Amino acid sequence: MRFLTLMEKLRVPLMIFPAVALICVLFFGGLTVGLGQSLGYFPAIGSYNLTFQYYSDVLTDSTFFESLWLTFRLALLSTVSSSVLAIGIAMVLRQSFKGSRFFTFMFQLSIPIPHLVAAAGIVLLVSQSGLTARIAYALGLINVPRDFPVMVFDRPGIAIQLTYLWKEVPFIGVVVLAVLQGVGPQYEEIARTLGANAWQRFRYVLLPLIMPGVLSTSIIVFAYVFSSYEIPLLLGVRYPTTLPVLAFKNYQDPDLSLRPQAMAMSIILTVIAVLLLVIYKRLAKYAVNS
Amino acid sequence: MQKIIRWIVLISLVVVALAPILPQFVWSFSHRWLFPSLLPSEWSLEPWEYAFSTSSRVGEAFISSMAIGIVVSLLSIIVGLPASRALALYDFRGKSVIEWLLMVPIIVPGIVATMGIHQVFIRLRLTDTFIGVCLVHLIPCIPYMVLVMSSVFANYGTDLEDTARTLGAGPVSVFRYVTLPGILPGLLVSTMFTFLISWGQYITTVLIGGGSIITLPMVLFPFIAGTNYSNAASISLIFVAPAILVLIFTSRQLGRESAVMGGFGKL
Amino acid sequence: MFDMKRMTLILVVLMMLVLSTTAAQDSDELMGEVPGYATWADVLAAVKGTTVNWHMWGGSDKINSDVDNDIGARVQELYGITLNRVPLVDTADVVNKILDESAAGVTTGSVDLIWINGENFRTLKDASLLYGPWSEAIPNAKFVNWADPSLAFDFGTPVEGYESPWGHAQFVMEYNTALVGDAPPKTFEDLTAWVEANPGLFTYPAIPDFTGSVFLRHVFYWAAGGPEPFLGPFDQAVFDQYAPKVWEYLNALEPNLWRAGETYPEASALTDLLANQEVAFNMGYGPGNAASSILEGKYPETIRTFVFDTGTISNNNFVTIPFNAPNPAGAMVIANFMLGEEFQLKMSDPALWGWLSPISPTMYSSDFQAAVAAFERHPATLSTEELAAGALPEPPSAWVTAMEQGWVENVLQK
Repeated sequence: MRFLTLMEKLRVPLMIFPAVALICVLFFGGLTVGLGQSLGYFPAIGSYNLTFQYYSDVLTDSTFFESLWLTFRLALLSTVSSSVLAIGIAMVLRQSFKGSRFFTFMFQLSIPIPHLVAAAGIVLLVSQSGLTARIAYALGLINVPRDFPVMVFDRPGIAIQLTYLWKEVPFIGVVVLAVLQGVGPQYEEIARTLGANAWQRFRYVLLPLIMPGVLSTSIIVFAYVFSSYEIPLLLGVRYPTTLPVLAFKNYQDPDLSLRPQAMAMSIILTVIAVLLLVIYKRLAKYAVNS
Repeated sequence: MQKIIRWIVLISLVVVALAPILPQFVWSFSHRWLFPSLLPSEWSLEPWEYAFSTSSRVGEAFISSMAIGIVVSLLSIIVGLPASRALALYDFRGKSVIEWLLMVPIIVPGIVATMGIHQVFIRLRLTDTFIGVCLVHLIPCIPYMVLVMSSVFANYGTDLEDTARTLGAGPVSVFRYVTLPGILPGLLVSTMFTFLISWGQYITTVLIGGGSIITLPMVLFPFIAGTNYSNAASISLIFVAPAILVLIFTSRQLGRESAVMGGFGKL
Repeated sequence: MFDMKRMTLILVVLMMLVLSTTAAQDSDELMGEVPGYATWADVLAAVKGTTVNWHMWGGSDKINSDVDNDIGARVQELYGITLNRVPLVDTADVVNKILDESAAGVTTGSVDLIWINGENFRTLKDASLLYGPWSEAIPNAKFVNWADPSLAFDFGTPVEGYESPWGHAQFVMEYNTALVGDAPPKTFEDLTAWVEANPGLFTYPAIPDFTGSVFLRHVFYWAAGGPEPFLGPFDQAVFDQYAPKVWEYLNALEPNLWRAGETYPEASALTDLLANQEVAFNMGYGPGNAASSILEGKYPETIRTFVFDTGTISNNNFVTIPFNAPNPAGAMVIANFMLGEEFQLKMSDPALWGWLSPISPTMYSSDFQAAVAAFERHPATLSTEELAAGALPEPPSAWVTAMEQGWVENVLQK
């Protein structure tokens, strides 16, 4: 009997222990080592003295802030536009019509496709000599490639954002669809009988229902874009580049003394990501409640 | 009017979904395809011959990617399933702390923890090993597994399990005949996500695998960066094929099972 | 029956076999000392059945397959070595790996051979992270003219037996005759004039990409009237004397560059831009690249190459062995094979890579020389004489680093 209650007590800790242990060792362990290096504790190059030098190096460098701003702007724009488009498409797809299963499948198509493949596809489509430009040439809209709008290797990062849109709209959309499927038609019916028009039904009935789902998937999307490496590396301008690219470039520099700086950047990136999450959750709570 | 808008949306949806993928089929058969030609001026099977040659290492990379993806998914299930059940069905002290611990890796760039763990892995001789790469892929995979499955468990009542137990079923048969069928659709989707996360990892594999473990993104990347789009296309299509297969198996669950995808709405 | 005639024939054949193998072994002797092995026969005995991990840039399907087939298959046949080519996006990645392993005390690593030169070689050599010296001692080092400064020094760093050459490279400009005509701008003044008259059609790769970096060095040489000021040890005063003229030249060019200089492409992207007429010029270290790209369908037929009137920079590709290579013997055998006649002939073939050889053809057999003379030159390739006439040396890598940093601060981020 005693044994059973002990088992009962240990049940939850035993269930969560493996996952928590792995994440703590791998993720928080890695983070701690990174924090140590960013503070100058780097035995591999014989450096043991703790210092904030690397943080002040990073924080006084304008390159860092340009990268931070670019990373933030790309993440924010991709997230907002993905969310809006996803809601729009989900509203269409939730209706039942002939072929809706086919269209839902097409909508989901890009979810499993690796980002690298998506990036290659987008370049082939929208570069100044890409397929769209060639169609424009065939139609007589442009004469030479440079007449075509610049979307790849550009400062605004249009191709980068298109890649994320193509990947993330379905991701958010599928979650919204799932929520809408759970809602059923009765709420709207009631609203309709109360005389609400289509916009009002969407704004006051459906939107509040799907908002929590949209908000938390958009956090995931934001975090994903915020931490992306390959896409800005392949499709972006060389300067300024995103923070993960910048940090990794410093990390991989044969000059090992740049490592602590790379780590300081990463730690700042981590703090910003967590802070943004906290602020976002606050705002989301406020938005959903009101 | 509404119908017209719907069809415009639907048709553009199909066009947009296929536009980055379909031209890659054509690229994979092209020898010379330069501006302003709308179709290749010379066709060739070379990109496919290259992809299937041993020099391209695509076959080897495919097997490694697949093996890593499967191991990572299985490990994620083994450690993630009990944790999600605990988080969904029990109240305990420190629960919100645990929830935060398990969610932070989704928010924090994976490259950050990987750069840190890299030094430790070198010392432990885990770099350049299969296990090392699997471990680093687990960092983003476990949180996604827990996120989706805790939502599935939250929607899943335990009454049926209790009934089975009172009828004398042992823990194994309860899991086999009651729990598993109940969570299976959700499990399929979350396994798909963990597999795909591992399948698409690039920079973490490069750093920890150190060139000894070659995965598909690693054979593809140089061709995209090198603007060799014909070879990039044939490798891309091989890279995409299993992902599409996975989607075909899970598409219904994605579309219908509200609790599953709803999991992402619970962050 | 005792068939005397037949027996004699067999004996003769056997004798010839013995003679020919000893003859082959005679020429395959170590020419000096290498760490860990007394004779070349010891080296060969140690490599049978082993694997060599060769880390090399992996962005060319052609080089990838040819390395596997022409080197890999041959070294398997000849020496029983399995060549494992490890593709890299950037050679600095593997340099880092070695640095990390050394810092963590890993004495048996996983890298045997690296395709390397310049800054990456200097980093490893300065940190004493290389196996050797060995490259002057391997049998085929007898073909190498170590008195040639371009072979004895790699971007100013003395080679001293720590890396072995296998290919020669010279910078060339590529242009599209459909956009430029038949008279490309062969001086920097003409280039400015052309770019001003044709805005948006010229650019150079973003530095620190090595192709962009070598273009920048040409501008420095132009500003100083020749390479001489930059060939000694780095001197800040000399740098400051010429750098402002370089930044001024490049910044004046910028508004008329591709994308108005808002960004600079990667070298590989520039190749694609030339192919699709987005720009009219490309540049690179491979004199045979235009020809092979036309044959591979990556370039239109209208691409040709030229060199500047004041010459262009040439350098060598080397292979090196890290200090913790698990199989240095195997790595040496491969480096040795790559200096041999068989490989050098394949490499020089315009139908294959069309590279230049770091070895003077007169060092090899007359068959080799005849075969090289018989190569048909593609119209997009310049003659070896034309190239050699204008070959300029590389500066020591400290200059390269300073120039690259200066460009990032004064041109890119401006």
